[in-house]
Amino acid sequence: MLRTIRVGLAALAVSLAASGGAMAETIRFGAILPLTGPGAVVGTQEQRGIQFAIDEANAKGGILGNKIEVLFEDNQAKPDQSVLSFNKLVDLQHVPMIFTGYSGPTLAMAPLATRKKVLMVNAGAQSDKLATASPYLFNTLPTTGDEVSVMAKYLVAEGKKNAAVLFENDAAGIGGRDDFRDSFVKAGGKILAEEPSQFGQTDYRPALLKLAAAKPDVMYVVITAGMLPLAQQAKQLGLNFTVAGTSFFSDPDTIADPASSGFIHTQVQISAPPALAAAFKQKYNADMEFFAKQYYNAATIILTALEKVLKDKKPVSGENLRQAIFDVRKFQGLIPMEFKTNTASVALDINVMRDGKDNVLKEMKSQ
Amino acid sequence: MILLQLLINGIVTGCALGVVAISFSLIYSTTRIFHVAHAGVYTLAGYIAWSLSTRGVPSVLSLLGAVGVCAVVGALIQHQLYHRLERRRASHLVVLIASLGTLAVMQNLIAGIYTPNILQFHISWSQGTMRLGGVLLSYAQILTVLMGIAAYAGMMYFAHRTMLGKRIRAVASNPFLAEITRLEPKTVYVIVIAIASAIVALPGVLVPLDLGLQPYGGIGALLTATIAMIAGGVGSISGAFFLSVAIAVVQNLSLLVIPGEWSIGVTFFIFVIFMLFRPTGLFTAR
Repeated sequence: MLRTIRVGLAALAVSLAASGGAMAETIRFGAILPLTGPGAVVGTQEQRGIQFAIDEANAKGGILGNKIEVLFEDNQAKPDQSVLSFNKLVDLQHVPMIFTGYSGPTLAMAPLATRKKVLMVNAGAQSDKLATASPYLFNTLPTTGDEVSVMAKYLVAEGKKNAAVLFENDAAGIGGRDDFRDSFVKAGGKILAEEPSQFGQTDYRPALLKLAAAKPDVMYVVITAGMLPLAQQAKQLGLNFTVAGTSFFSDPDTIADPASSGFIHTQVQISAPPALAAAFKQKYNADMEFFAKQYYNAATIILTALEKVLKDKKPVSGENLRQAIFDVRKFQGLIPMEFKTNTASVALDINVMRDGKDNVLKEMKSQ
Repeated sequence: MILLQLLINGIVTGCALGVVAISFSLIYSTTRIFHVAHAGVYTLAGYIAWSLSTRGVPSVLSLLGAVGVCAVVGALIQHQLYHRLERRRASHLVVLIASLGTLAVMQNLIAGIYTPNILQFHISWSQGTMRLGGVLLSYAQILTVLMGIAAYAGMMYFAHRTMLGKRIRAVASNPFLAEITRLEPKTVYVIVIAIASAIVALPGVLVPLDLGLQPYGGIGALLTATIAMIAGGVGSISGAFFLSVAIAVVQNLSLLVIPGEWSIGVTFFIFVIFMLFRPTGLFTAR
């Protein structure tokens, strides 16, 4: 009798082990984002966008029955911390794909992604160097160079030919300054002055005073944090020139503040259907802002690529996910997007902030 | 005009840093504790005032509330942490590490409670401006200068003209003698940190009123204030205050001749050279 039970249990164990390979499993991805520190405003939006897309997919039964999980790591927007987090996620958790943001951290991780064949998806940073940093790095936003080129042509066409530049003294800011310098001069404009700021800085008065002394028609701003203090101090100083920038201007608090009235910026076209935006708001008690939409969109791209990999019965690796993105090529997420290269082609608007809202001033073609 | 505006801007920043410096100097010269957690108290002040003002408490009461809370927190750090460590004969290095740990805990608690985002006070008058002799200043900046001058004058009066001030100077001068003459250094230390924490709450509220709140913003201010204290002469209230103003003015004016990314480096290089020639500081402690 006892022997029969033992044999029965052993048979059950063997059958369970055999069926294990065919059972649905949890597929883990990573995300290395600034969840604390001055970059956390953006990082939290990004995290929510990813998690919302993943929860939505899991609620529908996952991807071909496989549940998806994203492991979030806080890098405080610091390159060194990002590298530690990358190694932790890849070496210990064996994730095949990582969502990233911010140029400095993403550029620091790019060589590791190439070496370890881990796919990285950036939907927030825009340094030009990101376009060629790694064959395993995909950018769902145009680079700063693309945005700057559109704005430079617009400004010169509007008769604003003398510019000052305020830039963040890091990879994204310096890249943006160089792009603006090239594009603006090529379009027929002249750079009168340049001044750097530090990431997370909130006192812009000395820099603004110095730039204002050059008497520009427009001040081009390439910063990724501290937009609201900048707007308030510019208003207090009574600066009478146009303030222009990139998609990083779309900070909800800055848009809502009257001090930002008249600021113009390039903006990647992206909008969420009302039902999706309402569900997001119900879940997080916050509007689905620009970066939440961007990372939601990026997550849907990855889930589409994952579905292709699973349908093709290939292992879920960085290499296979990368190839799947190129195979699918055109994605219809929140915004139509095509991957001819590692950086997506998308459309751009020029927006103006007025009456607490970000309004479309002119629709432009990006690439 | 830009020269004058930058000069005044430097003076505003310097007045705020000066108050951080004199409060830090008061603690260091009396207790010999390198109280890095002072940066946490400075940061906490802004968040307390922000919490009160967003709940409809009038601005002045919010400021006083922050001053009171900071005084209590400062006294608790001395009484519950530094005093216990001293009883166990902890070295200066251990006390410094404990202070650094306290700062990290405070910053993380603040970030956890209030989020790490840059927060702005919703006090409409603080963003208003006034033109004084061709220089445009926000009301928050004007208040910062007035507060800085008042805090400096008040501290000078307190240290030299009051019984408690003299008692603190006596303890700072010779703790051993103070012990046997029943000046109770342990009690004085608690009082000193409470007073210094109350004082540092003033710029802790007024600077964020102008520039916004950040959980990790205090350490930069404390670093500059510490350098000003050393360059001004440890123990000298005037030295700490005026060197803070000088550093901030040089940093602002240097923008006229060099790009901003070099301004901090060049300013501190000048002070390194200065310290080589006058290592005891500009003002001699009295």
